[in-house]
Amino acid sequence: MEQSVGKMASGSTNPATEAPAKLELRNISKWFGPVGDGVHAVDDCSIEVKKGEFIVVVGPSGCGKSTLMTVGAGLENPTQGEVLVDGKPAGSPGPTRSVVFQKFALFPSETVEQNIKFGLQMTGVSAAEQEARLVEQLKIMGLELFRKSYPSELSGGMQQRVAIARALVMQPEILLMDEPFGALDAQTRTILQEEVQRLHREKHYTVLFITHSVEEAVYLGDRVVVMTKRPGRIKRVIDLPRDVIWKTGDIELAAEHPEFIEFRREIWGLVREEIVSI
Amino acid sequence: MGQSRTLQVAAGLGAILAWIIIWAWLTRPGGPVPTLYFPAPDDVWAKFVRMWQRPYIGSTLPNHILASLYIVLTGWGLAALVGIPLGIAMAWWKKLKWIVFPTFQLIRPVPPLAWIPLTILWLGIGDSARISVVFIAALVPWLMNSMLAVYSVDRLLLDAAKTLGANDRQILARVVCRTALPTLVAAARMALGNAWSTLVAAEILAATAGLGYVAVNASQLLDTDVLLVAMFMIGILGICMTGLIGLTQNWLAPWSVLGARRD
Amino acid sequence: MGVLTDRGKATAYGIFSLSVLLTLWICATSLFQWIEPRVLPSPAQVIRQFAWIITEPFSGLRLPGHILFSLERWGWGVLTAGLVGIPVGVFFAWNPWFKTFLNPVFELIHFIPPFAYIPLAVLWFGASTATQAMVVFVAAFPAIVINSQLGVAQVEKIYVDAARVFGASPFRTLCRVVLPAAAPSIYTGLRIAISNGWMALVGAELVVGKVGLGFMIAQGQENASVATIFVGVITIGCLGVLIDTLVQRSERYVLPWRRVAG
Repeated sequence: MEQSVGKMASGSTNPATEAPAKLELRNISKWFGPVGDGVHAVDDCSIEVKKGEFIVVVGPSGCGKSTLMTVGAGLENPTQGEVLVDGKPAGSPGPTRSVVFQKFALFPSETVEQNIKFGLQMTGVSAAEQEARLVEQLKIMGLELFRKSYPSELSGGMQQRVAIARALVMQPEILLMDEPFGALDAQTRTILQEEVQRLHREKHYTVLFITHSVEEAVYLGDRVVVMTKRPGRIKRVIDLPRDVIWKTGDIELAAEHPEFIEFRREIWGLVREEIVSI
Repeated sequence: MGQSRTLQVAAGLGAILAWIIIWAWLTRPGGPVPTLYFPAPDDVWAKFVRMWQRPYIGSTLPNHILASLYIVLTGWGLAALVGIPLGIAMAWWKKLKWIVFPTFQLIRPVPPLAWIPLTILWLGIGDSARISVVFIAALVPWLMNSMLAVYSVDRLLLDAAKTLGANDRQILARVVCRTALPTLVAAARMALGNAWSTLVAAEILAATAGLGYVAVNASQLLDTDVLLVAMFMIGILGICMTGLIGLTQNWLAPWSVLGARRD
Repeated sequence: MGVLTDRGKATAYGIFSLSVLLTLWICATSLFQWIEPRVLPSPAQVIRQFAWIITEPFSGLRLPGHILFSLERWGWGVLTAGLVGIPVGVFFAWNPWFKTFLNPVFELIHFIPPFAYIPLAVLWFGASTATQAMVVFVAAFPAIVINSQLGVAQVEKIYVDAARVFGASPFRTLCRVVLPAAAPSIYTGLRIAISNGWMALVGAELVVGKVGLGFMIAQGQENASVATIFVGVITIGCLGVLIDTLVQRSERYVLPWRRVAG
């Protein structure tokens, strides 16, 4: 069952792939501050996300996973390496790569409606189209009643729904999610994990998802990338089975499935090595 | 909760009443405080009513008030027109800040009042001298707080806007300026406080109408009761104006005054 | 990419813009005389005036004399504001009834701008040191009270409880626990008060008195000597910055437990 590709070392792209990558991070290194003297956040990481694939990056806190995300989104330039979308340099951030942030990043001065329409208005979508997409997205995320609310009036879970809606309404080719449920309480997190799982099954989004929760990684991911502690390198890539019964239901049920438990144990073992080693 | 609040208000009103009684007792005929130095409360009230209809040194009280308000609001408004865009621009374009800020830092430590003699020499004792002094006094808080308002916008929001396809101009107009509004309301209050306080001094030094002018003349004519009327009016108008600005926050930036409604 | 850091660039830009300004000033006055000297004196004239006021008496006193008079008035005002304001602020936080009773008077001082007290002060004290000191007091007092009160109110109750558990009397709790914890806030209040007082002093001296820096610029206006006003304005600004810097620097010596790493 386990198909660990092993350490994807420098320079080598994965030769086993036939389909072209939608998003490719190629040999990314990132230093904050001067090279050799500043903080070495990420070291020579390569990740490919194919169309319709859900990749989860998991690792100990402070391992540079979020840096990988900001680089992938184009918000930071890598010190070395490049980011490719459909094989071409990705350039500056834009609506083809929508981002969901851990801290929601909703505009406090705008209502739910205005927040969700924001990107559409920035890119010149017609008013009628804006409205249609808004209504659809409100329905999908269950936000119809909160259309005129301000973010400060919503709970954390609702705010993150708005942020996800704001990203999805752009019909992005790639969805980047940076520990989107990290700031939520356990119950809300479970509900949203199930919704994201459902959305991915139905709409086949291409997702790069960052988390520190092993359970979340096993439940959501088609492939799980385990990172080392800082400077973040890729420790192991693990392919997970798709279309298995435990991936189509509640996370509570999934967590009791022997296969799920086995994957969780294996990945946790890898992450644990990184946390306890000095 | 409601009950203790009522008690607080009642106690506050009681304290005010107590002080008025103490005031009246101290200034009673033959009392310890001569009315030349501090007039009795009923004298002040009588003078207030009288000044409302009869002119004192040229104008009635409402006209003096209007004269003061005209100067302070003009100076404050002009300072806003310059200070807000300049402050935001300085926070947004580093180079502009590097160029303008040193000059500004040089002028800042000088008390705005110290400019009064200069403006009188340059502009005469007309309205423009007072308006420009008020302008200088209000400009500093407008500009500084507009800058701070931009700096206080969460970087994450800028990132979010970028990933949604907004360009720099769109981010500045839609994210930065709007998110900064509550801070700007605070800036408006501070600027008005400075402006009002400086105006009083400017009117004491050079004016032909206004509450400061009333105060200084009353002092010279030993009309202590008029002086107290002027001082109270200055205080009350200051409170009213800053209060009004506070209220504008409700409709300028409604999101900033909402409590969280948990679902 | 460049050799300079942001900080270096900022300094370079600053020096550049200030030099442009100075050049413009020199061009407009000394070089091309676009502006008449009685409207805007040249830098050289200002410097000459400076030298003159330092060496020759101006209205009876040389510049250091005027400075000392200003500092004396300001000192008295701030000192009394501190001596009265800190206890008042502490008791405001300690005893709500005390606060309720005194609040109307406090708000009166707080909301009427200090300059509005100038005519009253003149009426009460005439042209004496007390007049200016009173205006400085009124300007400095509210900041001290508010910040002292805030400082005491912010002291966490567990500290007070801890002191009680160890058997400290209320007075000793106040001295050993509450005041040290409130000191940083009180200090902030003093700092604001000191600079507010300085601003107010200038206003008071403009209106009354025969000595002091404010008087000097008022005199400059009277004599239509812009150079004198410039000398006064520059001195006031520099002293203001100097005082504020000294107060800021002194904090680490007065409140050693506030020293932070880095």
